[in-house]
Amino acid sequence: MGSEAVLRDVHARIEIDTATAPETALEAGRRAGAIDVRFPGFKDGRGYSLAALIRESGYAGELRAVGDILPDQKDCLERSGFDAISPDTPSPRWQRAGFTHAYQLGIARGATDRPPVYRARALAARKEQVDALNREHSASPPQTIIAASVDAFSGRIAMLSSFGVEAALGLALLAQVDRRVPVLFLDTQRHFPQTLTYRDQLIAHLGLEDVRILTPDPAEARALDSDGKLYERDSETCCELRKVRPLGAGLEDFDAVITGRKRAHGGERQSLQPFEFDGERVMINPVAGIDPAGIAALYRQMNLPAHPLREQGYASVGCWPCTAPSAGLHARDGRWPGSDRSECGIFDQARTDRAVAARKRAVRLIG
Amino acid sequence: MYRYDEIDRTMVSERVEEFREQVEARLSGALSEDQFKPLRLMNGVYLQLHAYMLRAAIPYGTLNARQMRVLAHIARQYDKGYGHFTTRQNIQYNWPALVDIPEILEQLADVEMHAIQTSGNCIRNTTTDPFAGAALDEVEDPRPWCELIRQWSTLHPEFTFLPRKFKIAVTGSEADRAAIGVHDIGLKLVRGETGETGFEVHAGGGQGRTPRVAVKLRGFLPKNELLAYLTAIMRVYNLAAQRDNIYKARIKILVETMGPDAFTAEVEAMYRQIRGRDLAVPAEEAARLTAFFPEPSPVDRPEGAINAPGFARWRRINVKPHKVPGRAIVVISLKPRAGAPGDATADQMDAVADLAERYGDGEIRVTKEQNLVIPHAVAAHLPAIFEGLEAAGLATANAGLASDIVTCPGLDYCNLANARSIPVAQALSAALIDRGLDEDTQGLTIKISGCINACGHHHIANIGLLGVDKKGEEVYQLTLGGVADNGAAIGKILGPGLTPDEAVEAVTACVAMFRRERRSGEVFAGTLHRIGFEPFKEAVYGQ
Repeated sequence: MGSEAVLRDVHARIEIDTATAPETALEAGRRAGAIDVRFPGFKDGRGYSLAALIRESGYAGELRAVGDILPDQKDCLERSGFDAISPDTPSPRWQRAGFTHAYQLGIARGATDRPPVYRARALAARKEQVDALNREHSASPPQTIIAASVDAFSGRIAMLSSFGVEAALGLALLAQVDRRVPVLFLDTQRHFPQTLTYRDQLIAHLGLEDVRILTPDPAEARALDSDGKLYERDSETCCELRKVRPLGAGLEDFDAVITGRKRAHGGERQSLQPFEFDGERVMINPVAGIDPAGIAALYRQMNLPAHPLREQGYASVGCWPCTAPSAGLHARDGRWPGSDRSECGIFDQARTDRAVAARKRAVRLIG
Repeated sequence: MYRYDEIDRTMVSERVEEFREQVEARLSGALSEDQFKPLRLMNGVYLQLHAYMLRAAIPYGTLNARQMRVLAHIARQYDKGYGHFTTRQNIQYNWPALVDIPEILEQLADVEMHAIQTSGNCIRNTTTDPFAGAALDEVEDPRPWCELIRQWSTLHPEFTFLPRKFKIAVTGSEADRAAIGVHDIGLKLVRGETGETGFEVHAGGGQGRTPRVAVKLRGFLPKNELLAYLTAIMRVYNLAAQRDNIYKARIKILVETMGPDAFTAEVEAMYRQIRGRDLAVPAEEAARLTAFFPEPSPVDRPEGAINAPGFARWRRINVKPHKVPGRAIVVISLKPRAGAPGDATADQMDAVADLAERYGDGEIRVTKEQNLVIPHAVAAHLPAIFEGLEAAGLATANAGLASDIVTCPGLDYCNLANARSIPVAQALSAALIDRGLDEDTQGLTIKISGCINACGHHHIANIGLLGVDKKGEEVYQLTLGGVADNGAAIGKILGPGLTPDEAVEAVTACVAMFRRERRSGEVFAGTLHRIGFEPFKEAVYGQ
């Protein structure tokens, strides 16, 4: 994209007015360090939509409303993305208090300052539901937790599976409850071939009906990993490209995710609860409390096929460049060997949010 | 019914305080009249011919007995003892003093009501089927989605200074008693291929100077995508519509200028661009809103009947079937013979509140035909309801008949009007009833507007009258063939303008013609289609 190459001049201030075409306004957003939107008359509301468009495209510089505007419009201006106001006529009325709440999504600089009321209410309810589920299921067996989750979040729940060495247990339990629940698999294009074979074997064996394979965006992959060796230079960015961003997009339609995380994995996972709320979604960890011996016993009892790499000493399997057999105390000791990393980042809400925002901005806006 | 939480309460009380300060700023001169006008309009305050008019919102036409009593109190305390129910399911007070308005708004806020965005170039009160949640033919109750739209459209930062006013209507049934075809956006709940419900989306309809039937943008929109799609439509409209000519600023003109396909493509592209979690309606909020509108409980008692004069006729004409056993929908006509359509006195409002509370779970609706409805009446109590209505002068048995005439306030109140509407409606209603022409006209619609803005909905009337000013004379154009409901259609002008007296005679002649010519079960549009305009023209203008 040619326009992406145009350097932003942080010193340049560009003035547009409310009659400016959306494409021109967005071009200003790509180039300027500060933008003035001139209102020729206070009844001309196009400036609000232009501001929203510019902000949504990722513009983070100053956006100033100038011209014929009234103190009564301050709330609308600020919530449409303006962060500076320079009215033709000053008035003490500009000091009036605004509204406490906002029913709509506000587009302020950097982040949403006040979440829209419909989301604030829903997220508060979701958190309450998580607390209630934890109270009810602190000692429940995995299948009970899965059944309760599928019931509570019907139509908006998915299981996230690595199809790794411990994955068959959760998948088998899910299949017992409902084979139609979507299962998300991140195809990083760096998997061991054994993992892909095992994945297909398990899908057939368990009769899973909706396995969704999430792959990296080809354009992003070309840009970030042109030689295919990003993992050597920067494993964190590689995870970002191949796991965090695709999952961020894949999770858009889901409010609850069943994971295979276990307390026995160590690190941050030692304090896992069956139900967790990450500020956005419910993360469900039905097998959190099961230790390695318990897992082995359940595999035998349920007659589950083993991951082919298990017998080669892999206690946890990720991508081949960053996974080694594990001889340590915890199963995930073989992940990112020789580094202090222990997580790829998909369970980090802030990172997922950033990834989704970046992806949205990459889409070209219409004119 | 929806009940406010702390957030809604805070929002409305802060809006009252904001308006109080705006009134003070106007009175002190800090705001000019030019600056104050759009601000007061956005809070429902008009300057009319004789006084300020306040229009209070009745969200999607739904209110409870307690709220109705406050409307009655306001009529008594601040107006001349009556209020006027409008074609947009709101109520107007024609005589309040500007200084009293903040106080009135406070009293409305006490019962979870407001006047926010009942006027001005913003998203207006969402309207819907007055039988919502009760109708036999309903796919799904649209009210939870109307409430979602009410909140989303309230003080929307991006869409508060639009090119022109903007009206959204929602229907939950095929019959479409919300006239979605003549709204800026019309939404219809439909069942999709896999059985789930979603919205069929229409846009670009409207009445006024350039009446247009809306075009369909989409056959099916998942319900949780509603806000993203509405935002996309609004944004395309806000950016692209004409702003230099108020007669060309409505979305219907934009859709026509761009062409329906290009407009739809633009909206779809914007929708794909902005959709995502932030604009998705969370399942928890949809469930919370839905829980406010439970189906009324069935009543295991037989329907009541009495031998009182008029009861059987009223039962046949004004009572509609309900989806729940033992319940009935009662339409309360605000169209007594020679009355002012849509007017109700404070005492009548109180009477309706009492009856709804005693016999209908306390719920009341306002219709776009300017009538009231007790949607969940207990059928066993129909006699008591009838007697109560009769005592209040509200038992006129003409709901849906020719004499159930819709009018705007016209030149008696409105400073936009070219001609009076109410006196013509009064004379016409008397003529129809006195000459026995009203019988068996169920479904025949007559609507009168006092100017081309078409608040009286004359374009979508089977028989419409439009008041125009012809060299200082009030003259009426007669239109035939409009349809409001499913498959909306715009009426066509029959011939030269008529004086008020001629207009009354012309409409009665058309009604008589229809009664004579129709075949069994035929609606007006069917008869007109079959016999054409000529016989009507002859009946009105002679050979």
